[in-house]
Amino acid sequence: MTVGATVSKTDTDLPTAAPSQSGGGGGGPDPGAHDPSGGGPAGPGAGQEKWWRGERLGPQVLRVVTHLPLIVLVLIMAALIWKAIPAIRYNGFGFFGRSVWNFGNLYAPILHTHGVAHPPGALYGALPLILGTIGSSAIAMVLALPVGVGTALVVVEKLPPRLSYGIGFCLEILAGVPSVVIGLWGFLTLGPFLMHHVATLWANHVPDVPVLRFFRGPTGNGQGLLTSGVILAMMIVPIIAATTRDLLRQVPRGTVEGAVALGMTDAEAANTVTIPWVRSGVIGASMLGLGRALGETIAVAMVSGVLVGSPIRSLYSAFSTIAATIVSQLDGAFTDASGLAVATLAELALVLLVITLLANVGARLLVRRVATTALPVGRGI
Amino acid sequence: MPTRQSGVPTNRSRIRRRFAGAGLLSVLGVTAVLLSACSSSSSSSPTTTTTPSVSLSSLEKWPTTAVSLQETGSSLLYPLFNLWEEQIHTDHSNVTITTASTGSGTGVSDASNGTVNIGASDAYLSPGQVAAAPGIENIPLAISGQEINYNVPGISATSHLKLDGSVLAQIYQGTITNWNDPKIAALNPGVTLPNLTIIPIHRSDSSGDTFLFSSFLSDSDPTGWTIAPGTTISWPNVAGEVTAQGNGGMVQACQKNPGCVAYIGISYQTEATGAGLGYAALQNKSGNYELPTQATFSDEAAGFTSSTPASGTISMIYGSATDGYPIVNFEYGIVLSKQSSSTTAQAIRAVLAWAIDPNGGNAPTFLDQVGFVALPTQIEAISSKLISKIS
Repeated sequence: MTVGATVSKTDTDLPTAAPSQSGGGGGGPDPGAHDPSGGGPAGPGAGQEKWWRGERLGPQVLRVVTHLPLIVLVLIMAALIWKAIPAIRYNGFGFFGRSVWNFGNLYAPILHTHGVAHPPGALYGALPLILGTIGSSAIAMVLALPVGVGTALVVVEKLPPRLSYGIGFCLEILAGVPSVVIGLWGFLTLGPFLMHHVATLWANHVPDVPVLRFFRGPTGNGQGLLTSGVILAMMIVPIIAATTRDLLRQVPRGTVEGAVALGMTDAEAANTVTIPWVRSGVIGASMLGLGRALGETIAVAMVSGVLVGSPIRSLYSAFSTIAATIVSQLDGAFTDASGLAVATLAELALVLLVITLLANVGARLLVRRVATTALPVGRGI
Repeated sequence: MPTRQSGVPTNRSRIRRRFAGAGLLSVLGVTAVLLSACSSSSSSSPTTTTTPSVSLSSLEKWPTTAVSLQETGSSLLYPLFNLWEEQIHTDHSNVTITTASTGSGTGVSDASNGTVNIGASDAYLSPGQVAAAPGIENIPLAISGQEINYNVPGISATSHLKLDGSVLAQIYQGTITNWNDPKIAALNPGVTLPNLTIIPIHRSDSSGDTFLFSSFLSDSDPTGWTIAPGTTISWPNVAGEVTAQGNGGMVQACQKNPGCVAYIGISYQTEATGAGLGYAALQNKSGNYELPTQATFSDEAAGFTSSTPASGTISMIYGSATDGYPIVNFEYGIVLSKQSSSTTAQAIRAVLAWAIDPNGGNAPTFLDQVGFVALPTQIEAISSKLISKIS
């Protein structure tokens, strides 16, 4: 926080910071030797210490370092936009409304439209990919939020310390499982199990009416929206549960015990005291998880079926997310000699970046609103 | 890596047993190949003396220092390349080749930008790709084909359903959705077809098999299938469609989805049959229904031999050979003719020349295991000229 404040105050100093850093670096020992506070007898060692701990240089280096994330973000954005320009010009706004993914005829002579080289028939639309990205993450959030918060509540409030420690340990292990491992397990085991034994319980009994129709239909072979949502939920649960657990431990025991002493049940005490106390933190943790779900690539590429260019028909049909599409189409895209396919993937990456940024900004606004309005303790009493 | 190396011998012996079982067929196929090779070599030997041709032995000069080459691409060529790699490493221990089944699109792009030495592709290069990567060559290495597989309970794997391009185009467009459709029944009189939804499966990666299959659809039914062929095409939306990665993934997906139709390279015939999938007799241009065998492949390819240009770029789909199978292609090695070092270039020349040598990689001992057919002598001459350009 203090670092952030320093940065915003000294924002205008940034251009001068870089040259003075290099100058100071070059003449490091020199000013050290002349500095009376350096302590002459200490020799070069003291000069070295001055170089990085000194009053003038340390903050400037720090300033550049603190700006690095911003610089990197801007560079990434700039590079993506630069690469995506042909696709943005060729695809237009229709890119966000179409459900089609067509490289065009790569064997025919390359045409030029609006000054953009493209194979005849090339047409791209990102609608199903955007919906797939948001949809699979939404399923993951709906599943992970109650499970994660519930797990944390039980671990903190109900379980004996030793068991609670064991479960906490497992949560951390689960958070560290590489996504490719979860993806492989989802592809081989979880997906087929879900589609053949779980989804079949309701898939054919759901009424065939407009909204519910989405939950109806053949459950397929295990690759699809449902499997992806469940897999993503498994990756988010540890994030939400571990954060919530740490937050719950900071809820003053006296307040909770007071609520119970007033005659509240455990559930009422949790609802009126504990949960409001940790709410903004849980929202923050959930958004961290959402960010992970939106960008998760390889696990989704393994269990989604990577069906690009087709609308999402049901909860069980193959689909694709933006991230999975980029990773699965990149090699093929390089066979498009006009470069439009690669440019379109860059445009997709840009869309994903914007979605993730929006989710983050939204989370910050939500946390701020909740944090300022919710009374930390005794709400509703 | 260990799994692959240990997997190859068992796979090979399994394939051998299978071909021993189907002895007559393969013997016929091999004889046909040998006969055609003999006849064409005797007829073409005068031409090879008149045009400055490159002999294979001049190219098969193996480097003496240690060289390691990388190959990626076509999952259809992958099993054969593995057999080749094993034999090459046995004969020349200083030459190692790492192989990977990644799909033809990756093979083309990796070879074009120099990531790997040899890209494998079932599809030839497009003019745009050649323009984008100057000096890139597609070198025919062997003749391959594609089978149309299905998983229809009740239809035994030995009774091959008859299908044609028009019916397949309608299946992949979603206008024929059930196996008991009258249009399928009309092609298969006397066969009881079940009331079962058809699940069309297509490749999710950039694939030469997709190129071959979409070429067949547009060549055999130009009015019904208007999507231009390519390694990645925009498939019509069909309810329940499934995607898979690689030929291996196609076999697995088709096994898991009863009612499926899938297009799978001939080198996966053993796996596909082992998974309980049947394969179709396809209607060729002459109206005959042909099974994917080495004999029908070489019949089809023979019709294109004289018209193959010096670049090796030709589509052999839906040709006019009376007894030819309609989906046949050259397996291409995609190589940049300018290599970084002369030793690497020498090794690539030796490997590819050995691969197309009828006494080397194009010998029946290798090709029979994957159902491929050797290159005719004229094509061998075209390939060796292309190989000699690598430097």
